[in-house]
Amino acid sequence: MTTSANIQEYFCKIIKQDEDVSVGVAAIRSLMEVIKFSNSETVQELEANLKEAIEAMKNTNYTVAAINSACELFIRFITLAALDTRDFEKCKKIMLARGHLFIKKLEEARGKIVRLAANFIEDGCKILTHSRSRVVLQTLRKACKQNKKFEVFVTISAPDNSGKRMVKDLETEGIPCTLILDSAIGYIMEQVNFIMVGAEGVVESGGIVNKVGSYTMAVCAKEVKKPFYVLTESFKFSRLFPLGQQDLPEEYKYTSDIRRKCDLSKIHPLVDYTPPSYITLLFTDLGILTPSAVSDELIKLYL
Amino acid sequence: MEKAKKENKNEKVGPDGLTKKERRALKLSARPPQDNRSATEPTQNSLEKTQVNKLGNTITEIQNTIAAISMDSSKSLSEKEQRRLEWAKKLEEQNKEKGVDKNVSKAELKAKRREMQEAQRQLKTEHSKPVTKTPSTEKKDVEKKLETIQKHDTKKVDMKKEETKISPKKDIKKIIQPHKVQLVQHLYNEEILKLEANAVIVHQDIHPAFIKLGVQYGNKVVLGSNARCLALLAALKSLINDLKSHPKQEFCRYLETVLQVSANYLYTCRPFAVSMTNALRYFKLQLTQIDTNLKDSEKKAKLQDIIDTYIDDDINKAGDAISMKVREKISNGDVILTYGCSSLIRKILLEAHNDGKKFQVIVVDGRPLLEGKELLRRLVVAGIKCTYVLINALSYVMNSVTKVVLGAHALLTNGYVMSRIGTAQVALVAREYNKPVLVCCETYKFSERVQTDSFVYNELGNPDALSVTHINIPTALKKWKDVAKLTPLSLLYDVTPPDLVTAVVTEIAILPCTSVPVVLRINASDTT
Repeated sequence: MTTSANIQEYFCKIIKQDEDVSVGVAAIRSLMEVIKFSNSETVQELEANLKEAIEAMKNTNYTVAAINSACELFIRFITLAALDTRDFEKCKKIMLARGHLFIKKLEEARGKIVRLAANFIEDGCKILTHSRSRVVLQTLRKACKQNKKFEVFVTISAPDNSGKRMVKDLETEGIPCTLILDSAIGYIMEQVNFIMVGAEGVVESGGIVNKVGSYTMAVCAKEVKKPFYVLTESFKFSRLFPLGQQDLPEEYKYTSDIRRKCDLSKIHPLVDYTPPSYITLLFTDLGILTPSAVSDELIKLYL
Repeated sequence: MEKAKKENKNEKVGPDGLTKKERRALKLSARPPQDNRSATEPTQNSLEKTQVNKLGNTITEIQNTIAAISMDSSKSLSEKEQRRLEWAKKLEEQNKEKGVDKNVSKAELKAKRREMQEAQRQLKTEHSKPVTKTPSTEKKDVEKKLETIQKHDTKKVDMKKEETKISPKKDIKKIIQPHKVQLVQHLYNEEILKLEANAVIVHQDIHPAFIKLGVQYGNKVVLGSNARCLALLAALKSLINDLKSHPKQEFCRYLETVLQVSANYLYTCRPFAVSMTNALRYFKLQLTQIDTNLKDSEKKAKLQDIIDTYIDDDINKAGDAISMKVREKISNGDVILTYGCSSLIRKILLEAHNDGKKFQVIVVDGRPLLEGKELLRRLVVAGIKCTYVLINALSYVMNSVTKVVLGAHALLTNGYVMSRIGTAQVALVAREYNKPVLVCCETYKFSERVQTDSFVYNELGNPDALSVTHINIPTALKKWKDVAKLTPLSLLYDVTPPDLVTAVVTEIAILPCTSVPVVLRINASDTT
């Protein structure tokens, strides 16, 4: 279980098995598994193992943003905190207990966000969303269960066309929805009441890193003066401060396969960065935040 | 001095002549009655006159015709008419008199009032600054004024009571001092303080290191937020070293009082920088926490140690951390624009260059201090490709810039950045061109103050510096003191609103401007 190939396998298995598990949670579960089965004798060795595992997971074909921030948090809260006990076995147990607590918290997070965000959906409103986000989907489901009548526009979201899956999911719930072209964002913007998107990562500035096209949507929304809401768990907050699109780390923009094989200057990126000035509110498990509050929360978490 | 006295005597009489009634009376008496129809006659009156004349003409015409018809009736009529005519003429004359009086007096009143104010002003300035000489033009004005006052002296006596009541009101309303901008009047005390500082320069309680420092601050030899703070701490260290223990007082308490006196002296030389205030506050806090049972020499060592760690941790190491963080953001091929000369920016750029980063620097500079030259010199010596422009060429170079890196004097709680004047302009242009603006600032320069404009709190530079070129050749402005209405304003700082700043680089992290209060809260909880 400690080899990187095994970890990758386990990690991918979790994601494939359960549609509703986000990449970050899967990464943390894999790390728990590493702690459980590692035959290391010291805390330091264990830490090295964990770092190895994180590297291994980053090399899978999932986007790195969530893995990065979730693992950083995990390392910070689980391993660093456990250093005061002398007995390693005991220490390991404490770590695992904390880990379980951590995962439990993460799983509750989405429910909190859904509860907060569903209140913002009103009868007769039209919502625009981008790509496929689990938390947005659950929020829409919840609102539908509250017998609210609303309509959803979903972008097709090239290149992986994840919007099609989103539409399918919404249709099974009986929510009226329309699939639109990515290039039709501007056309549709004036009809919608607000935009609701998920995020792969939230950065220090309060901006988000999300599926490419989110930035376009945000700029467009700002121009037409529609609120741009982001639904995201707080474990996706990361201590990164991109100054612009070029400044985003490459591991965020491209999967490891592409990085290895292709000339990056000719490949389109998978994610883009939306600066905080385009975001109206962030719905997180810490509450509803303005973009500037993200940095405050991060300082509280890490300092 | 003699003159001033003379004027002072006259001043009591001077503002007396200001009441409207009196002036009108004076003017009427002074003016010969024939003067009414002089060239100053307003057009309106002449118009009226012609109208009346016309009326008169028509009446006489009618008179003639009627006379031709019947002599008797016409006579009575004409008499009536004539009477009316006469009355009209009288009325017209009265009107004219009034009108002329009014019109002339309005213009004259204004002129008079202005003269009076000028005279008052001069008196005031001469009182406060006996050294400065009144220029010849002003002298003339005053003399003129004196003459007029003496003329009207006789009639003033009876109205004195009224005037004394009125005059103070006017003083409050209209104090416009020459060469002072109304908006920043509260900042002008610096000059007076300077005078005072020179007067009481030999103060027995002040350590020579502080006196030297004060002069250096005042002459702007020690310039820049970091340098000023470091110099202060160095002076503080030598003070601790040289301070002899007081026979009655505990060492730390004694040091506190001595420090207070020295700080007050420094403040008269130049207002404190935020960095200095914060450093002093930290030191005073540590001073209260020192174990009183220690020997004085131990206390000294401990206090010096505290200062050393402060310099090391909060200034030097913080600078290193910031430099590292900014270096990550500098990529090959970048064109970095910076303004003025910040010691931190210099460090960052030099270290990034030594790190092997290939980038170009545009140094923007602003008069009158032209600090950027020093930065430019050092960068060029290090072998960095540089461009040097003045701030008026900013929008021309901004297009080719990829990142803007700025230093800061202080960061305020509301996220505003206080920095060398011109920084806000650079940030504004950068935002307009959509270039990222990084402000580098150690957290010890964060301030609890809130400020949204550059006027509430600022410092004034030497206005004379504006009237000479960079090589000290006087320009056309050099005689600005002779022109009462010309007011050069040289502010030292401005504030940049947070929406113009992309990020603040601190030793803790790269943060948005809005996180300043959180950092302040953390720092406060750390120290206490």
